[in-house]
Amino acid sequence: MFKELNPILHSELRLGVMSILISVESADFTYIRKQTGTTAGNLSVQIEKLKEAGYIDVTKSFKGKMPCTTCKITQQGIEAFQQYIDALQSYLHPEQHKKEE
Amino acid sequence: MQDKTLNEKESLALIAQMIQNTQKRFERGTGANMLVWGYATVFATFSVWLALRLTGNPNWNFLWFLIPLIGYPYILFQSRQPKLVKTYIDKVIKYIWMVVGITGFFLSAATIFNFMWAFPILFVVILMMGMGSMLTGLVTEFKPSVIGSFAGMLIGFVNYLVPDYDIKMLTFALAFICIDVIPGHILNYRAKKRCSKS
Repeated sequence: MFKELNPILHSELRLGVMSILISVESADFTYIRKQTGTTAGNLSVQIEKLKEAGYIDVTKSFKGKMPCTTCKITQQGIEAFQQYIDALQSYLHPEQHKKEE
Repeated sequence: MQDKTLNEKESLALIAQMIQNTQKRFERGTGANMLVWGYATVFATFSVWLALRLTGNPNWNFLWFLIPLIGYPYILFQSRQPKLVKTYIDKVIKYIWMVVGITGFFLSAATIFNFMWAFPILFVVILMMGMGSMLTGLVTEFKPSVIGSFAGMLIGFVNYLVPDYDIKMLTFALAFICIDVIPGHILNYRAKKRCSKS
């Protein structure tokens, strides 16, 4: 049957952040904000939710005098993302999923 | 992007788009690394060649150290610049050049200090840097680096086979123009064009 979609990932902005982080080693807050086209405040809130879920690691540091927030996906985040894709596929190709089960 | 729920198709489309945007990243000045090392090598080669021709004193071979003296401060400067995103490809390239750079440096130093006086260092350095650059070109799918490195390594064989000192030095500089300088300019040109479009 249909698998349940993870509610933490099933939001446009959080899914966007996770999709960026799944394909890189790490990304800066500014880069993610630019790619997602959202506001800094909104992004901070969503990043905090992903961090609380254990899906990403957030490191705050300084590069020279500039503050720098770096985000990195965790192993738990990778697994959740893979399960989410799996669940999405069960909605889009239900026949194929039934056969596999 | 907002904190809203998507349908299944929209979710997949968003994932694909975000991954594609990240992978097709081009930044201004991306070719600067190649240009710094390429021009530093060409400059050092002509300096050593000219100094030896004019004086005949082998101590002028220490001018080869101009290459790391120009290149490493640039690496240091670059590492202090904030980098917005680090991909796995960046990591692979970093390790390729770490291995190639350290090996090349110690081999060259051993030859300059006469520990390995009969070693064909110019030929070996061309091959090593050519391989590093070709691997980088293959990993990043940047054809000018692959073609340039191949041409540079072919020139390397001429460098090894021809005994004349002047031709050895000339072909050494020429090899680095193919390996670093030309692909570096092409990369910068493409990055500039792409960045001005977006």
